[in-house]
Amino acid sequence: MSDFPPRPDLAAPYAAPAPPPQHPSEEPEFHALRRAQYRFGFRATVLSVSSFLLYVLLSGFAPVVMNLTLAGRMTLGLALGLAQFAVMGVTAWRYVRHMRTRVDPAARALARGRHTPAASPGAGVPPRATGPAPARAPEGGRTW
Amino acid sequence: MVTLSAGVVDAASLRLTFVLFLSVVVITLFTALLTAPQRDEIGEFYLGNRSMSPLRNGLAMCGDYVSAATLLGSTGLVALTGYDGLMYLVGTTVAWMAVLLLIAEPLHRAGRFTLGDTVALRMPRQQRPVRLALALCTVVIAVLYLVAQLVGSVALLTQFTGEPGATTRTLCVVVIGTIVIMYASLGGMPGATVIQVIKAVMLVVGVTVTAALVLHRYGWNPNALLTAAADHSGESTRFLQPGLRYGGSAASKLDFFSLQLAIVLGLAALPHVLMRLLAPRSVGVLRSSVVWAVGLVGLICLGAGVLGLGATAVVGRDTIAGTDRTGNASVLLLAHSLGGGLLTALLSCLAFVTLLAVAAGLTLAAASSLAHDVYGELRRGRVSQAEELTVARLAAVVIGVLGMLLALVSWGANTATLAFLAFAIAASAILPTLVYTLFWRRFSARGALLSLGGGLLCSVLLVVFSPVVSSRPDSFYPHADFAWFPLQNPGLVSIPVGFLLGWLGTVLNPPEQQDRAAYQDFEVRMLVGAEE
Repeated sequence: MSDFPPRPDLAAPYAAPAPPPQHPSEEPEFHALRRAQYRFGFRATVLSVSSFLLYVLLSGFAPVVMNLTLAGRMTLGLALGLAQFAVMGVTAWRYVRHMRTRVDPAARALARGRHTPAASPGAGVPPRATGPAPARAPEGGRTW
Repeated sequence: MVTLSAGVVDAASLRLTFVLFLSVVVITLFTALLTAPQRDEIGEFYLGNRSMSPLRNGLAMCGDYVSAATLLGSTGLVALTGYDGLMYLVGTTVAWMAVLLLIAEPLHRAGRFTLGDTVALRMPRQQRPVRLALALCTVVIAVLYLVAQLVGSVALLTQFTGEPGATTRTLCVVVIGTIVIMYASLGGMPGATVIQVIKAVMLVVGVTVTAALVLHRYGWNPNALLTAAADHSGESTRFLQPGLRYGGSAASKLDFFSLQLAIVLGLAALPHVLMRLLAPRSVGVLRSSVVWAVGLVGLICLGAGVLGLGATAVVGRDTIAGTDRTGNASVLLLAHSLGGGLLTALLSCLAFVTLLAVAAGLTLAAASSLAHDVYGELRRGRVSQAEELTVARLAAVVIGVLGMLLALVSWGANTATLAFLAFAIAASAILPTLVYTLFWRRFSARGALLSLGGGLLCSVLLVVFSPVVSSRPDSFYPHADFAWFPLQNPGLVSIPVGFLLGWLGTVLNPPEQQDRAAYQDFEVRMLVGAEE
């Protein structure tokens, strides 16, 4: 995260092209990145949250199903409760893998495209030093 | 809270607990003061040490989240109601999924100190009213949750001394509250982080070791544990089936659903958790931190389930219910019969430190919001860092004192009920604005104001007219009856109302062209960020 600087040294590359450039959020690469990140996030959230809420509703309104005995004292309801933990683990693992392979490289490429070439390798540059490109300081915002 | 015949713990373990608690407090206070912000830099005060490893960040998140309500309350519910109690623990963990998958990374990239900063970035021209409304909601939620923790400390003291007198009660709340104020006001986020990490390590170790002791006693055979728990519950197989607590009417089943909805959705909107999400330096660290937090919370919840079942199996449900009707004593009773006075003292100390740490995080979050959003906005941003820091420290004192006063007035309330009300209000008031701000292109300031105000008002009003306040023997006013809303938890109604109002306000007052342009910048920042 970074401060909200009033665009100190990034003004030049933005002012260079003569026609008003397309806003970065309208570029196809950006659309692809947004789709890749949010589609997975929304689906996985809906899946894990609604599977849990369904489990609560089933336990409340269909106890007969949940009381089916599987082995010993273990009923279907208890097993499904434990399965929630397994589902969460798998979801978290898939999420981390998805972000690492699909989203992070695309985001890095886009970020590189928006920075001056000198800053692009990003080797050892503390994040605070390179400002965010299009973050505009809110009017009446703080100066520090 | 409850009427108790006598304390659970003998005098020796009470003294031991006292010594242990005191040493933990002294050590953490010293560390907090040593790591406290030396310079007048608000970034350090609000966010703390930003170079922490993912594991330590994850521990701090876990520490912020798991409160005494989970450790004592949910475990007690498992001990008393079996299956229904176990469902609480699942919900407590599932809540983290939305944070991990949807909220954490976009919020981190587009955030700074408070949620108000994020919204201001999106609606730069109307940031003033939105910031003030957000601060109001934040303070209400944080104070309510803070009161829950302080009331919990009285409930915990009850386990030792039996029903405490007015003086003991006041002393307990004032001492705990003063320590909390010192952490938050002097230590800031670095200080709060120290105690969160220490508490989380203690919690993970304590719960895991005790759960291992329980499992060891039953030959590491879960089936033997389940059988013993069912046999000693007085309910036989019904103990392991749904419905023991919420089986009665359709209203009570809906109440349970409403509560679970509030737990699952409320976490992502709790102010101190949101603030903690902003602390890691980079998005990569944040992601690993949240994964750690999910794992640790999951581990604690699984362990708490074993503890609850173990308490019923070892101690017996009648003894637990006889000691404390809400089941809050179950963990301590279990510890006493497994490991004698030493384990009891360790776990009681753990419970005190747990509520201390959560209370410190909450006080800090409310103080930051007051100083950064309210004071900064009233002065129109012309505040020096040193001045804002002073205001934040003073605000922490004010919030702490307010929490103490309210806790002394409402000491008889149920800790878990208060905590879950805070969750419901967070999910109704703050969550809609948070989700719309991040993901809805057309969201307007009018929508934000309507959903913040309406969500807050709706959830508070529903609570006032619910059985929590009147008509039941355990409500605030047991002799009056104006409870026309049947559910104890308002989430089922107020969360959709909050989202609906946000949508309505936006449709009626769509954003202007400049605000749409601001969202384009915001979106780029949220996805690409400035880091890596």
